[in-house]
Amino acid sequence: MESVRDVMAADHRQCDDYFVAVERSVAAVAWADAKAAFVQFRDAMLRHLAAEESILFPAFEAYTGMSMGPTQVMRGEHGQMRDLLSASEAALNARDADDYSGNAETMLIMMQQHNMKEENILYPMCDQHLAYQLEKLLPQLEGAIEAREEMQ
Amino acid sequence: MQALLSFDQSPPLDAPFRFFLTAPLFAILAGFFLLWSGPELFASRWTPAALALTHLIAAGFMLQAMLGALVQIMPVVAGANMGRPMRVARIVHAAITLGALLLVAAFLSFLPLLFKLSVVFLGAGLAIFVGCAAQALSGLASTSPTIQGLKYALVGLSVTVVLGVLLAGSLGWSLDFPLMQLSNIHLSWGFVAWGTVLLAAVGHVVVPMFQLTPAYPDWFSRRFSFSTLAVAALWTLAELCTWEVPSDLLGTALVAHAALFAGVTLHIQRRSKRARFDATQYYWRGAMISALAASAVWLLARTVTNVGEWPAWPLLCGILVLFGGFMSVIIGMLYKIVPFLLWLHLQNQGRGRMPAPNMKKIISERDMDHQMLAHLGSCTLLLLAVFWPAVFVYPAGIALMVANGWLMRNLLSALSVHRNHLLKIEQMIGNPAQ
Repeated sequence: MESVRDVMAADHRQCDDYFVAVERSVAAVAWADAKAAFVQFRDAMLRHLAAEESILFPAFEAYTGMSMGPTQVMRGEHGQMRDLLSASEAALNARDADDYSGNAETMLIMMQQHNMKEENILYPMCDQHLAYQLEKLLPQLEGAIEAREEMQ
Repeated sequence: MQALLSFDQSPPLDAPFRFFLTAPLFAILAGFFLLWSGPELFASRWTPAALALTHLIAAGFMLQAMLGALVQIMPVVAGANMGRPMRVARIVHAAITLGALLLVAAFLSFLPLLFKLSVVFLGAGLAIFVGCAAQALSGLASTSPTIQGLKYALVGLSVTVVLGVLLAGSLGWSLDFPLMQLSNIHLSWGFVAWGTVLLAAVGHVVVPMFQLTPAYPDWFSRRFSFSTLAVAALWTLAELCTWEVPSDLLGTALVAHAALFAGVTLHIQRRSKRARFDATQYYWRGAMISALAASAVWLLARTVTNVGEWPAWPLLCGILVLFGGFMSVIIGMLYKIVPFLLWLHLQNQGRGRMPAPNMKKIISERDMDHQMLAHLGSCTLLLLAVFWPAVFVYPAGIALMVANGWLMRNLLSALSVHRNHLLKIEQMIGNPAQ
């Protein structure tokens, strides 16, 4: 059976690919393509964050009774990523390649170190503690992060 | 569960930054030192000046940056929290800074007292660091190549330090140790079992993270750190027992390990998804190419008599490893770690009400690129100085000072952006909690 780690880490890689698509368009000074790619990236990111905050974290918090623990830290970092997404979008709208690249670089590292904590620590803990409800939880998560296909 | 609960306890900024800001000072000092010592430094690897220069970089620049990075990354990448990180950082930083300076002074003067004092400070500082780091890592299962690599790297550091203490101690207390043989073992442990194993442990995280490459291949990740330590230990045994053939074979295997790390890293970097190279990518690639070149020189010296008999080949190798390899990769990583940590701190202090300047506003791409060119220039001149010391030693010394002065300037201007933004936050939302 799939695990939380498999499903969510695969979505992290998917978001990385969308991130790269924007970066390539900005490097090629193809602003229209960059904007379209950014929308895809931003929406995938926001869906991923929302899926965690509304489905995965509450399940983890309910089981462990820790609402001020690691999920709190992750929610804080989600907020920072949302801020960086907005700043990147503003730079893209202003066609400011330097400002975009600065915000994007910051977001990339934020995102990657966040993913690492989730993939190495939080998701394995979820797989361990929530094993009994994975059958129900995984389709919910998959539904929430895969909404992009329905939208296309 | 311990790792989970202490999820976000990265140490205060002060802890890593005191190391990061000291590192370039040692390299600037090395530049001054080249000017002062002149061409005779390049007569042989055993000249006091060559030994002093080596330790300004290895026990100065590299050690500072490596320990600073460990203080910062152990909690983040491994969930390994040191108790009282600030206190440990202060004591260790003071001890190794003083210890490295005393060691360099000892090489230049050959005063036994200075060797004794350097043993005390470097030995004690590193013993405290290794003890605290080992405590933080103990009890953590080696669930990733990074955690495993960090543990083995600490073993590598410990052996390097013990051998260094024996060597400096024997000069301080006039003990009768086989100095040349122990020196070779000391530097092999330092460069490969400590330096390369640590770099690989960190590289497993930061290469895919900064450069969006595929992960290191599984066959490599699983075995690299253990295999390197095992080969280093067997080679040391063969070397101490003067078993010539096994020692030759194992020595070659040890160098092959370092070359393999460089080769695998270059291979995965070729598949980076990033749209274009930045300074960090160039620094990493340059470092790996330099490491491969050093391995090739080492192999040539072993197999081609003319090269092996050339007294300067170890210097060529040393410059490729120290300046082209470790110094490059360290600066490349500082250019990500420093702006990110400062951004993160400002972002947290601004509590979402005041956006922090992004990383490239903290250190601009232009400044990083220019500094990188200066570093490339200094490496080239140092290599030329091996062949024509009288002509190139002075330009090399100046170039080394310029490149590292520039690095220092970039780090200090990052801190000034940070300070100014903190003031703005203070004006807007009152004094932020530290």
